[in-house]
Amino acid sequence: MKKVFALVLSLVMVLALAAPAFAADKTYKVAMICDSSISDGGWGAACYNAMIDAAAINGWETAYSDSIDQAAYYDTIVSYCDLGYDLIYAPGNQYTDAVLQAAEEFPEIAFALLNGGANTPEKAVNKNVTSLLPNAQQIGWIAGALAGLMTETGTIAFIGGMELDTTKGKYAGYAEAAAFVGQKAGKTVKTLDIVYSNSFSASDKGIEFAKAMIDQGADVFFGDASAVDSGARQAIDAANQAAGAIKIYDIAQPADILGQNECIICSQVTDNSSLVSLSMQAVMNGTFGGEVIYGTLQNGALSAGRISDLVPAEIQEQYKAYLDEMIAGTFMQ
Amino acid sequence: MDMNFVTNLILASVRMATPLIFVSLAELYSQRAGLTNIGLEGLATIGSLVGFMVSLLTDSPMLGVLAGMMAGIIVNMIFAYATISLCAEQIVYGMAINIFAPALAAFIYRIYFGSGSSLVQVRLMNTLAATLGITPTNFFSKLLLDQTFMVYFAYALVIFTAIYFNKTKSGLNFKAVGEYPKAAATLGINVIRTKYLASVICGALAGMGGAYLTACYTTTYVDGNIAGRGFIALAAVIFGRWSASGVLLACLFFGFCDALQIRLQVASFGLPYQFFQMIPYVATVVVLALIGMKKAGPKSCGKPYRKEER
Repeated sequence: MKKVFALVLSLVMVLALAAPAFAADKTYKVAMICDSSISDGGWGAACYNAMIDAAAINGWETAYSDSIDQAAYYDTIVSYCDLGYDLIYAPGNQYTDAVLQAAEEFPEIAFALLNGGANTPEKAVNKNVTSLLPNAQQIGWIAGALAGLMTETGTIAFIGGMELDTTKGKYAGYAEAAAFVGQKAGKTVKTLDIVYSNSFSASDKGIEFAKAMIDQGADVFFGDASAVDSGARQAIDAANQAAGAIKIYDIAQPADILGQNECIICSQVTDNSSLVSLSMQAVMNGTFGGEVIYGTLQNGALSAGRISDLVPAEIQEQYKAYLDEMIAGTFMQ
Repeated sequence: MDMNFVTNLILASVRMATPLIFVSLAELYSQRAGLTNIGLEGLATIGSLVGFMVSLLTDSPMLGVLAGMMAGIIVNMIFAYATISLCAEQIVYGMAINIFAPALAAFIYRIYFGSGSSLVQVRLMNTLAATLGITPTNFFSKLLLDQTFMVYFAYALVIFTAIYFNKTKSGLNFKAVGEYPKAAATLGINVIRTKYLASVICGALAGMGGAYLTACYTTTYVDGNIAGRGFIALAAVIFGRWSASGVLLACLFFGFCDALQIRLQVASFGLPYQFFQMIPYVATVVVLALIGMKKAGPKSCGKPYRKEER
């Protein structure tokens, strides 16, 4: 009996010694939660693709829950935590409270909050939360500069989904860049007040907002409202079709979706995959947490996508010059 | 506030009221037969998805609407069997439909379209003006001609319903089932059959309301696109005092309030946007308070009908 016991003990010790070797083969898992649909042709789709791309690079498994209600944020996160996911990826400032609560209860799990606040990681008791923070002002600049150059009526518009700090930051950047660029071009550019659909899925609200804003003279649109933006583009396309010419434009975000609708003249692109990938690598290296990873024009996380032929060559050149100024840090200086 | 603002507001109100009219009439038929169906949100959701998918597959928005109707009927048969044949609690089963149908729609969407993130768009139903090759230029031509067949159908349905419930023997029998089913049964009215018929109509119209959104209004389907219209429809039936004309006015009122808050947000009067967003809700509270609750709904609403019970 003693011999058998000794043998079992020896086996356990050998297996324990070999454990790191097994751990090296561990397949890491990331789960994304999202209150909009991953097939919304906008924010949800871009964030989902960012996770898929980052997971492919780093060899991670992925899962997602989309179109979830606000009341289900926390429960959905906890469900993935219970399933042993290594990283929870929450693309939006609105998940902050749910993420912080879950992060306190699951200290061994990493949480990446896209568009999280700069001070959110400090609030995490277990230092297991990282904010991935694309520069909202620069996002607004990228769209605003083109809007300022392209507007003929001198009125441009912005549709927000919910009243988030990042949305307000994008709007502020959009308005100031358009006004600056317009002034340089000898015209006054006015940005209509920001409107909120209070939803990321009500594409019908996007249609109605866009129609109302077109009535107010808006001829360039930008937004931060997921499927609501898709509805707005539908209304813009319809207005252009009725006019017999494409005179009202949309700037998409955060992925390059030029060609999805006739009215899209460019996209503000956020390379969320590089930010998510950095989070994954930090998890694998055991260095995750307590930091803010910024996404800027300077580090390549933010950029402008392909430009439509609807934008005259001369304006394209001016726009590229403004983008260079933004990268160099001299824009509006 | 110029004339353009007013005319565009009226056009937007009509657009936003149309899906509500279908869903509210669905509830009206159901409640008139004594069935309080709060599962309209779920029925409209499944109608919206099926309508979208069939529109996509056939490139025919009309077939999409018909398929949405069928989907609404099929799902509502769960409610009908449970509440009519099994005499189960109507509110509980209505809520079950509200939970089950959107989940089913999300499941079907994922199964069919996979985890792809590309935006799928369908062709919308043509307006009468487009079919006739006319370009509407003024307010009246836009209001009367720049609408899809479904809009005309919705208003025709309101007229039909008003006549049916008030001027026909069949309609009066239908209402009798909702008021006092046992008395109706003594007069030879088949109560069970009438309740099933009401459920079929309810499912068809709620599914049609959902399908309208994806076949006539927006080119995409997104989870949650019904956005509470099922619950607004419930309010519209109460608001409309269980009459077809009242329901129409209630739907136009809700559509108007929603369109107004959107246009006031855009017009920007320097007020916080939340002020405009609460307009539909404040207006509802005020109007309900003014109308009062003098006339209650059908007497047997929510109560199970047991044929042999004394």
